[in-house]
Amino acid sequence: MFKKNMAALMMIIFLLVSFSMAFASEGPDGNDRKGKYTYRKVYKACAQTGEVESATPTISPADKTMVQWQEIFENKNFDEFGCKDNWAGLPDKDVLDVYSYFYKHASDSPTPAKCK
Amino acid sequence: MKVNKVKILLLASLAGLVLLTGCTATKAVKTAATPAEDTAWMFHDIVNAKFVKAHMAVPMPENVMMIDARPYKGKYAKGHIPGAISIPFSQFDKKINLLPKDKNTLLIYYCEGVKCKLSHKSAKKAEKLGYKNVKVYAKGYPEWVSLKDNYGSLSAEHVAKLIADNNTVIVDARPKKIKFDKGHIPTAISIPFSQFDNFKGKLPRDLNTPVVFYCGGLKCRLSHKSAAKALEMGYTNVKVFAKGYPEWKKTYGQSRATIQVQAGEVEGSIDLERFKSIIANNPESILLIDVRDADEFAKGSFKTAVNIPIEKLEPKIKDFPDTKPIVFVCPTGARSGEAFYMVKDVKKSLKDVYYVEAEINFKSDGNIEIKKPK
Repeated sequence: MFKKNMAALMMIIFLLVSFSMAFASEGPDGNDRKGKYTYRKVYKACAQTGEVESATPTISPADKTMVQWQEIFENKNFDEFGCKDNWAGLPDKDVLDVYSYFYKHASDSPTPAKCK
Repeated sequence: MKVNKVKILLLASLAGLVLLTGCTATKAVKTAATPAEDTAWMFHDIVNAKFVKAHMAVPMPENVMMIDARPYKGKYAKGHIPGAISIPFSQFDKKINLLPKDKNTLLIYYCEGVKCKLSHKSAKKAEKLGYKNVKVYAKGYPEWVSLKDNYGSLSAEHVAKLIADNNTVIVDARPKKIKFDKGHIPTAISIPFSQFDNFKGKLPRDLNTPVVFYCGGLKCRLSHKSAAKALEMGYTNVKVFAKGYPEWKKTYGQSRATIQVQAGEVEGSIDLERFKSIIANNPESILLIDVRDADEFAKGSFKTAVNIPIEKLEPKIKDFPDTKPIVFVCPTGARSGEAFYMVKDVKKSLKDVYYVEAEINFKSDGNIEIKKPK
């Protein structure tokens, strides 16, 4: 009986781990290269309106982990970035690209963003 | 009864014999008639490959003209006897001006083998025009290319197609510094004939890979000499582009027209192998822009690269020429990818724009390592 329970428990643990790994490795499937350009463009446009001082983005993907970016982008909570109107006017496809850029170059990703 | 049977047998044998003889006789008559009918279309002066070879030279002698009577696009363009000009029989009258003024010139017509009538018909027409020394190489191009040490010559259009197909090695046999470096056919590699033995290692390992040699036109022998060497080495698919670089320039202008920068797997990226090949053989054919910062660029980059850091790129895009494909590079594809999308956004009219999606290691010793991204 004990052996059976152990086997079932192991199976559940295995399934949970596999499921979470599969989920974690998926991430957004946008175009991160394009996302980088779009992100800079949003920031530049925002700077022209005077909402932010610098035309160069101050927030880098490496500032947060993949899970943190996931939370921000899935909830569309862009307060931290400022430039509310610019984000609101961005098509979903572009948001997905920017999300992909942040996610793929997050601090705990295989390729964290450097200064550039 | 027995006698009757014997009679019947004899009669039957006789009838059979008569029938057989009759058949044979008819056949003999037919056979005798066939050659007369079949040869009526043939020209009276037929020569063989040995004769053709004996009258060929680079450049072609003024008193000899080799004429390919086959259709231009389907046949001549894809392969012809080196030095031959194209006057398809169907355009004989239209292209009469291509024939030499001197009626004593030796004209050698050929087409697609013994069953092909085009060379014979053309030869007859030429003779009617008053040419006194007209021959037909009846076995024509199929025999020519099948003979040992022989090879065909291609047209510029066909060379362009081979470049686009990307399965042929194009070899420039001219001297590198004074000729190749000043302009050459896109994707061509430089193996000057004078250094053939030193650089023959640049030729493909697979001896069945198609290889095309060219040099400075119909008066240049370097491509022919190189082709002969390649055949000696065992290459099975050797051709020359006898009209060479002058014809290429005339047809396509400088390198750019058919550079065929091939797109890679990722949107906007250049095929990595094609990029390496361009950098190795034909770097001037693209506008290579290194978008790293100036201090990074100063430590080393590709020889032909110009440095425009990504932050300074946008205002310069409007001035980018459309005369060459533009390729952006950086160490990871991050900045160069951004540059690609910037150009696509700022100057949509620029179509030939790419970036290198790869890990590029600009080493301190000047070497550059290019790896496919993991």
